[in-house]
Amino acid sequence: MNNKMMAVLFASGNENKFNDLTIHRTTTSMPFGGRYRLIDFSLSSFVNSGVTRIGIITRNNYSSLMDHIRMGRDWDLNRKNSGIAVFPPFVLNTSKEVYKGKIEALYTILDFIEKAPEDYVIISNGNVAANIDYGKVLENHISSGADLTILCHEAQCVNSSKRVIVAKNEKGTVTDMYSVEVPSSDYKMVSLSIYVVAKEIIMKWIDQAYARGLVDFETDILFKLVPEGKLNAYEIMDYAAIIDDVKTYYAESMRLLDISIREQLFGGARKIFTKVKDSVPTMYGDKALVKNSLIADGCTINGIVENSILFRNVKVAEGAIIKNCIIMEDGVIMDGSQLSYVIADKKVSVKENRELKGFSTYPIVVVKNKTV
Amino acid sequence: MPGNKQCVAMLLAGGQGTRLGVLTKEVAKPAVPFGGKYRIIDFTLSNTINSDIDTIGVLTQYQPFELNQYIGNGQPWDFDRLEGGAFVLPPYQTAKSGEWYKGTANAIYQNINFLDRYSPQYVLILSGDHIYKMNYSKMLKEHISKGADCTIAVLNVPLEEASRFGIMNADKDGRITEFEEKPKKPKSTKASMGIYIFTWAKLKEYLIKDEEDKTSFNDFGKNIIPNMLNDGQKMYTYDFSGYWKDVGTISSLWEANMDLLKPESGLNLYDRSWIIYARNAAEPPHYAGPDSHLFNSVVSEGGEINGEIYNSVISTGVVIEKGAKIFDSVIMPNSIIRAGTEVRHSIIGWGAEILENCKIGEHQLSATAGEWKIAVVGPRTQVSKGTIVAAGEMVGK
Repeated sequence: MNNKMMAVLFASGNENKFNDLTIHRTTTSMPFGGRYRLIDFSLSSFVNSGVTRIGIITRNNYSSLMDHIRMGRDWDLNRKNSGIAVFPPFVLNTSKEVYKGKIEALYTILDFIEKAPEDYVIISNGNVAANIDYGKVLENHISSGADLTILCHEAQCVNSSKRVIVAKNEKGTVTDMYSVEVPSSDYKMVSLSIYVVAKEIIMKWIDQAYARGLVDFETDILFKLVPEGKLNAYEIMDYAAIIDDVKTYYAESMRLLDISIREQLFGGARKIFTKVKDSVPTMYGDKALVKNSLIADGCTINGIVENSILFRNVKVAEGAIIKNCIIMEDGVIMDGSQLSYVIADKKVSVKENRELKGFSTYPIVVVKNKTV
Repeated sequence: MPGNKQCVAMLLAGGQGTRLGVLTKEVAKPAVPFGGKYRIIDFTLSNTINSDIDTIGVLTQYQPFELNQYIGNGQPWDFDRLEGGAFVLPPYQTAKSGEWYKGTANAIYQNINFLDRYSPQYVLILSGDHIYKMNYSKMLKEHISKGADCTIAVLNVPLEEASRFGIMNADKDGRITEFEEKPKKPKSTKASMGIYIFTWAKLKEYLIKDEEDKTSFNDFGKNIIPNMLNDGQKMYTYDFSGYWKDVGTISSLWEANMDLLKPESGLNLYDRSWIIYARNAAEPPHYAGPDSHLFNSVVSEGGEINGEIYNSVISTGVVIEKGAKIFDSVIMPNSIIRAGTEVRHSIIGWGAEILENCKIGEHQLSATAGEWKIAVVGPRTQVSKGTIVAAGEMVGK
């Protein structure tokens, strides 16, 4: 059995950039791809790579996450040994407030890491959608002889969120690392903020950094290690996306309408698991006209749907027109409504003959439970 | 001794289901896919757990592996209990004897030890090949309040169809006076649904007696029920109304699938207070492509739909290529229909692949609508390019 790696997943981050989509949830519990939450991609990648000891560090709004994960059974993580451990916001007696950065957060769970029998730790942000084979990553990490491996992919920096750019030589050794916060259309090697590192090494680093009052894992620890040549970069060639604001959420969702992207994310033996909801298959009525769309189970469709993603149990009445939209679970779009470039959160109702129009770079967000 | 269950369910899943032909060559009938993402057995398993009965024995001797794997620890139906749960019970050897289940009654007889483990007061006998939603706890309540030894669920059927069923003749209180198996001249229209509740002590007595009778067929309908009736035991009917269909034949299996497309059929799976559970396939949402046309159809997850679909049930993980046309058909999980192929009035088995430009269920244009027989392509069968499979034909391994 492959139990060489354990994982620590950060559930929170950038919640303020999702407009109203993260009022009720953490980034990692964002619904994505018609029936998933972002965390499903991380958990499924771990499980499919034999990683079954997973600590999830939360900071705020974590009740929807807890509700989604329950005991981890839907990911085969309800184990006697290992499984999921959720760490609610942890306040150190010495700091008197919720953790400030990754260093402090990791320091609060050093005990969890130390007690685990695994030799390596995956440290991951929860805002990445990708189907990653960590077995291959670990092989690469060990053969590189580096202290830490950074997972990265070639991408544009489409928004103003902080991104870490990595430069590497042909051996994969990281030669430069810096952060940017300016959008640009150039393709760069972008860090996914997922790391693989030996347990003793990460424990030593965190212990020392915390003692010195350092906060930021990237700038205070990793950047300083670049000159020593101790960092390795592993490029994910398949689909990978960092989702950290409404713009990236919308754009990456729409990329799933491309079959080659779906094959990279869902294809093959490494399935993406999610909470099972026992929905019925989707029913298309006599007046349905659906083109280029992803449709989850449990929908009843009798209107026009184009270039859109419908989550589970969405109802589209006859005469409704939905184009370039994302309609989350239990949405009801009534007769004569016209929606384009709309992201409707869970349980949104759009009454008869309403018109909502956003723009591709600025989709309209309708808040959970609201009626238009 | 573990447990002291009020009622334990025993599901008879043993039949070979020969009338389903190639579909039951490798799996038992209850494991045959239904309705896009279900298996036939999901309906009885879900009815059982929804009726608050948490212990069920699934009696099977024909191709038990697939069923065993499907049911597993029973978790998808919430049967993973500390006490009780779902058990697949194939025939087994004991020190003294060991034999196949000779009949439905013998199957229960051979599992007397299993039942006694839970010392139930009542035993619910179910069939694994019916599509319906039913609250057995209401039937149990009636059984208890009437102090019955046996209660048989009955459905009112049209008089002209009554001779196809086991008919219960009962007095005005529902007490059964006569049982006729497939009568030529039915005296009533109350057809047995093959769902029985017995008071366990009484049934056990009759099972042991029946086993001693070497001339017996060891069958509930032929032996146990007539014997109990002859002895004047208290036997009552329980009236069920609602959708119910025996899917033991190709045409009834096809019809039941088609009933999903008609709200007026009464087969409604959208009722969240009576969920039909199934083992989940972990597939992404289905994709309807730019050239797809989906009309009055049911589509499950994981599909890639680029063809035209009319009045059909498309199951989990099905690929329909551009230019393919599906009419009035059931496409079972993970099948592939290649470009230019037309499928009409057919059942396509799971994992089948129909290559380009085939005509499946090709009927003569002179035939009257509704009179075409169902064509069947067996599971994991590949149909080569340009093949014509006539209406009513069955191809496959």
